[in-house]
Amino acid sequence: MAWITKPSATTKVEKRPEPYLTASMKDELTRTYLPRYETKHAALLPALHMIQHEYGWVPQQAMLEVAEFLSLPPSEVIDTASFYEEYWLKPKGKHLISVCRSIACEFCGHEAITQAVKDRLGIDVGETTDDGMFTLIELECLGSCGTAPVALMNEELLECLTPQAVVKAIDEIYAGGGKKHSHGH
Amino acid sequence: MQFAPNGLTTSTPSGKVNPNLAALGGPALTKRIPCWPYADPAGRHVVSYDEYVRTGGYQGLRKALSMKPDAVTEEVKKSVLRGRGGAGFPCGLKWTFLPKLAVDEQGNEQDPGQRYLAINADESEPGTFKDRLLMDFDPHLVLEGIAIACYACRIKTAFIFIRGEYHHQAHVLEEAIKEAYANGVFGPKGLLGGAATGRGGTFAVDCHVHRGAGAYICGEETALLEGLEGKRGWPRIKPPFPAIKGLFGKPTIINNVETVAHLPSIIEQGAEWFTKQGVVSSLGGNNQPSHGTKLMGVSGHVNRPGVFECELGIPLRTLVEELCGGIRGGRKFKGAIAGGISMGVLGPDQYDAPMDFDIGRKFGVLGLGTACPTVFDDQTDMVSVARNITRFFKHESCGQCTPCREGSGWLYQIMCRIEQGEARTKDLDLALEIATSMGSMPGTTICGLADGNNWAVRTIMQKYRSEFEAKVKPTFVPVKVSVGAR
Ligand SMILES: Cc1cc2nc3c(=O)[nH]c(=O)nc-3n(C[C@H](O)[C@H](O)[C@H](O)COP(=O)(O)O)c2cc1C
Ligand code: SF4
Ligand code: FES
Repeated sequence: MAWITKPSATTKVEKRPEPYLTASMKDELTRTYLPRYETKHAALLPALHMIQHEYGWVPQQAMLEVAEFLSLPPSEVIDTASFYEEYWLKPKGKHLISVCRSIACEFCGHEAITQAVKDRLGIDVGETTDDGMFTLIELECLGSCGTAPVALMNEELLECLTPQAVVKAIDEIYAGGGKKHSHGH
Repeated sequence: MQFAPNGLTTSTPSGKVNPNLAALGGPALTKRIPCWPYADPAGRHVVSYDEYVRTGGYQGLRKALSMKPDAVTEEVKKSVLRGRGGAGFPCGLKWTFLPKLAVDEQGNEQDPGQRYLAINADESEPGTFKDRLLMDFDPHLVLEGIAIACYACRIKTAFIFIRGEYHHQAHVLEEAIKEAYANGVFGPKGLLGGAATGRGGTFAVDCHVHRGAGAYICGEETALLEGLEGKRGWPRIKPPFPAIKGLFGKPTIINNVETVAHLPSIIEQGAEWFTKQGVVSSLGGNNQPSHGTKLMGVSGHVNRPGVFECELGIPLRTLVEELCGGIRGGRKFKGAIAGGISMGVLGPDQYDAPMDFDIGRKFGVLGLGTACPTVFDDQTDMVSVARNITRFFKHESCGQCTPCREGSGWLYQIMCRIEQGEARTKDLDLALEIATSMGSMPGTTICGLADGNNWAVRTIMQKYRSEFEAKVKPTFVPVKVSVGAR
């Protein structure tokens, strides 16, 4: 929300010299996205998707850069970014596990899935492991109720899950040294 | 049991086919997607442009382009194709709400200027997973439908608004759109490379995917437009309706994925073919019929969950017992969430309810919704169902309207309290009162999300009242007080 600012006047806002919105992102926005829409504002979701996809979260500096690039007031960018759940305004783990908690998945045992992840990683819902590898959240219906219970491992859907299967998916990422690209398909 | 990706158990189909559908040429939407009981779901793959054309694809569009745009709209109107996104509004009729085109002295229509088609692929209603099947496997069917709708409504730009979590489906659609451009379906040369012989000559259409970012409310059509404009998904106050003032202030039509996927076969085979499927309204009078087939996604406590293409009017019992192999573990049917949780629940005595657009008025639910029932067995605790559902609405309320924002939170708190055995009898009436007073139908909110919350809570509490009563303490707790006198 637009009125969320830094927690206190003495908190430092994280900044880095090189921009988050890279030249190639700007180029893609200019060539692919901006021509589609009547307003620059409409390219905001695609722009934020790029940032989220690349860095795993949307830092404040990136929002300011996007605002400048799309000629928007920063408050508009923060307003939109904070409304949509997919954009993380704080850093999260390298890999995101989102377990569906809606009704069909609850009927088919989503609780055991969440519990298995909690036990395996030693974290609660909403938390990140100490090694920064995994964040666990629960989401509403992922549109795959016929294969409940389901979860998203980053952008990949895991269907007909069992506690063993979700633990195996975590183990595989650890075994791969966590090198598997965290956001791609 | 063996599960194939996307849901269905792999075993050989029984070959049992709806005889009426078979006589009419089989299922229309899942022609190329193997679906129980017509074919084995294990044989599914993404249908490419070449395969699509080889199997009769883009013939509906070809035929549409040989007709005048208004004749296409007329045909869709005659078919009484009702929207598959939830509200069931007749598609052809919706199209006629666009501003009429000015005509010059020779009777030629003037350029309509910019208008938009927004395809609703947000599919976030819990229990709903039907549009996904089309986007997963037969994206060109959706694209052909989009092209036909654009031609009929003289729309030059279409956006497919797809929910953020559908990463794979967005990718499939984007690849299919690339193929469609490469083969001249879309792009500057005009639909099908300028095949239009209608009076307007060539008619060029652009089509893009626009990804949402995790907000159920963006399925509401005006919130979807806000999302397309890069803003937070706050539904707009209507009027003005999108057909007059929609995306970027221009006339806009919003249609569901499945709705437009019906268009190719309606145009190719005619409205009459379509109206031979489904049922007319049993309520008589001016009530609209429920024609055609519908994708029905069944989930919950059934043996073989999945998406099935059925004629509208199929009884829920047939759907569950014959297509889904009955209730899991041989248990008994206790009820079903009618078609997405916003519709409310069908009770234990409503197993025979026909799945058509009359279901709302005949069985005390909000409507057919997405026709994706979530079935539950006799061991289900309805209080926890209510808790799950009210949590959803509390989480997804966009917060604009006080009755919805506050009411959804209160309802969730009350349900939690009942579940924990802390509530009192009067809380049941309080919950019903809160639910009843929120919604766009009592006229206190901007959009229908609050109505969904209302119907879900009310139908569960009314149809399973005794379960709630069993968990609450009486309102009057007699307390023995010693007053010190005899
Ligand atoms: C809260 C809310 C959520 C909705 N979600 C969806 C959705 O996910 N998909 C959809 O097609 N329609 C959804 N709708 C219905 C749309 O507003 C709209 O009626 C529909 O997309 C119109 O398309 P149709 O006439 O082809 O069905 C939703 C409505 C409301 C009130
Ligand atoms: S009814 Fe609820 S979701 Fe709809 S606009 Fe109002 S607050 Fe938002
Ligand atoms: S309820 Fe979990 S995917 Fe729909």
